[in-house]
Amino acid sequence: MSILELFKTVYASLTRHIIRALLATLGIVLGIAAVVAMLAISEGGKRGIIDQIKAQGINNIILKSVKPETSSDPKMDKRRISSYGITQKDYHHISTTFSHIEQIVPIQAFDTGVYSGQNRTDIFVLSTERTLFEIINCTLADSRSKPFPGENNGIFLPSCYLGVEAARKLFGHRDPLNQDVGIGRYSFRVIGLLEGDGQGRIGGSHNINNVIYIPLSMANTIWGRSRSVAYDYLYIRVKEVEHVSELVARLKSYLSVTHVNVDYELQVPYELMRAAEKTQRIFTLVMTSIAAISLLVGGIGIMNIMLANIFERTREIGIRRALGATRRDILLQFLAESIVLTFFGGALGIGVGILTAYGAEALAKWNGDLTIHAIITPESLFVSLAVSVITGLTFGTYPAWKAARLDPLIALRHE
Amino acid sequence: MIELLKLSKQYHAGGVTIDALRPTSLVIPQGAFLTVMGPSGSGKSTLLNLFGLLVHPTTGAYKLNGKEVSSLSDDETSHVRNQTIGMVFQSFNLLSHLTCLENVCLPMQYARDRHATMKARGRALLDQLGLQGRYDSKPTQLSGGQCQRVAIARALANEPPVILADEPTGNLDEQTGLEVMQIFSDLHRAGKTIILVTHNPSYETYATHRITIHDGNVTFKNEKSPSHPA
Ligand SMILES: Nc1ncnc2c1ncn2[C@@H]1O[C@H](COP(=O)(O)OP(=O)(O)O)[C@@H](O)[C@H]1O
Ligand SMILES: [Mg+2]
Repeated sequence: MSILELFKTVYASLTRHIIRALLATLGIVLGIAAVVAMLAISEGGKRGIIDQIKAQGINNIILKSVKPETSSDPKMDKRRISSYGITQKDYHHISTTFSHIEQIVPIQAFDTGVYSGQNRTDIFVLSTERTLFEIINCTLADSRSKPFPGENNGIFLPSCYLGVEAARKLFGHRDPLNQDVGIGRYSFRVIGLLEGDGQGRIGGSHNINNVIYIPLSMANTIWGRSRSVAYDYLYIRVKEVEHVSELVARLKSYLSVTHVNVDYELQVPYELMRAAEKTQRIFTLVMTSIAAISLLVGGIGIMNIMLANIFERTREIGIRRALGATRRDILLQFLAESIVLTFFGGALGIGVGILTAYGAEALAKWNGDLTIHAIITPESLFVSLAVSVITGLTFGTYPAWKAARLDPLIALRHE
Repeated sequence: MIELLKLSKQYHAGGVTIDALRPTSLVIPQGAFLTVMGPSGSGKSTLLNLFGLLVHPTTGAYKLNGKEVSSLSDDETSHVRNQTIGMVFQSFNLLSHLTCLENVCLPMQYARDRHATMKARGRALLDQLGLQGRYDSKPTQLSGGQCQRVAIARALANEPPVILADEPTGNLDEQTGLEVMQIFSDLHRAGKTIILVTHNPSYETYATHRITIHDGNVTFKNEKSPSHPA
């Protein structure tokens, strides 16, 4: 029998009992739907989390000052708590004695409000040095930008760089260059525009494009005395990513001695990424097991329906054999039936899975949760279809083999 | 030409041995019309199924056109059934979910014929049997006589030299039975070897050779009976 004839035969058989065929594939449909939805959501999650972490720079280590918990111990002096976090001494020690460091930049954060007209914006003010922009992969968004003032800049005109988002919030479509921005009681002249990966976050929280960057030296001159923290962040860029863990270990042992009250936090994107990847692997493993179980159940369903089918059609098998069908013809016919069943079950499952994935995303969005993101890859669809076909093949073989082994005459006489 | 040499078939059921066919030797020349008569359970179907290679003989040899066929492999047996033998049953044995044309095409599918030739030949056969315009009918929409004619068309699909019919008129009324017998008679005149099991003695008039079976013993009815080697 030719392939065409085979599929016509299968079509004629399966369309006899559409509802039954649909029910038979229910397990496969649900199994494949679960596979597709989970692959889509996990792919979306993976790209989301891992992209976010990568945007921090996997070569970077971020040391952050953290206000220590206020101790209930009355002997604890208030003055001692008022000053905390990374000190200039730490900065100096780390940059001079630790190896593998390519660059190290301190950052100060200011919770001074930035106003656009009467409205307070969520724009954040940071003071830092020029090298930070390399570390966080920011580039100049406007070629007319003047150099970011360094340590020994003779002129003292308060000036700043704007992230593109901050510029948009403050000036809309107007040209922000050479405009003034009020920060606290001071006015800063905008001398440059910066743009970086929108997913990048300073210290994991402030969008790098939504920040006003002022030179560290200026900030020290203006606000230096009133601060209880020398540096809010220390950005360290490691030369090679292989040395990240080593440097982290050395930093930890240094900090554990010098900062017993743990007024710091280490953020290591590289390790976060490793952890995220590990979580991802576990998630994938769990999902694969769930998919495997549903497919096993679905496959057994197919086997069951095919066995019943073959029993019911014993006489048909006898007739076909009497007309000259070989065992192979019968085997192929019933095998093709289960594969077609599981293939369409799989296709249906893919449809249901895609709807589920996008549905979950839409539902989450509606609830204000933007972390669920579905990404359907062509590979996941191909894999799902292949898995359905393999399931049909695996669980269809025994019934088809049984059909092929039937004695022609006994089959023919079957009532 | 069909030659049986001491062919027998025994069934073992529940510790009892049934001689469905005792050792039988006979020769049926190409183009003969053989009727097989006998009471129920005497072994007529067993003999026909032996001819049709649907059962393996317990002993003896079966030569079809000079070729020993009782010891062929399953695949070879299927091929002989497909090419050399056309079978017609009392209960028609049409596949109810297929159309008449599709039923007629079944043997050609297993012969791996080209799709277009298959359909054309199927239609021609249905026309020949007076079923023009019923190509796409399902068997359930046809009368018994029409069903049996579809089944005969199907038996003729691969132009086999031998047609085996097991009580083909058993489910039909007398008039329709006669019409079907006329078809077999025409086929005989066209050169086919016909072996026909029947309960109706009047059908023996169509035959060139006649046998009866009692308890698995084959007897030859008259001088015109098949010659058999001593
Ligand atoms: N598969 C079988 N197993 C056991 N006994 C059988 C089988 N087929 C036929 N027989 C027996 O062989 C004998 C002949 O049967 P059969 O050829 O069908 O008779 P007929 O067609 O003349 O009515 C009967 O006694 C029947 O019971
Ligand atoms: Mg019988």
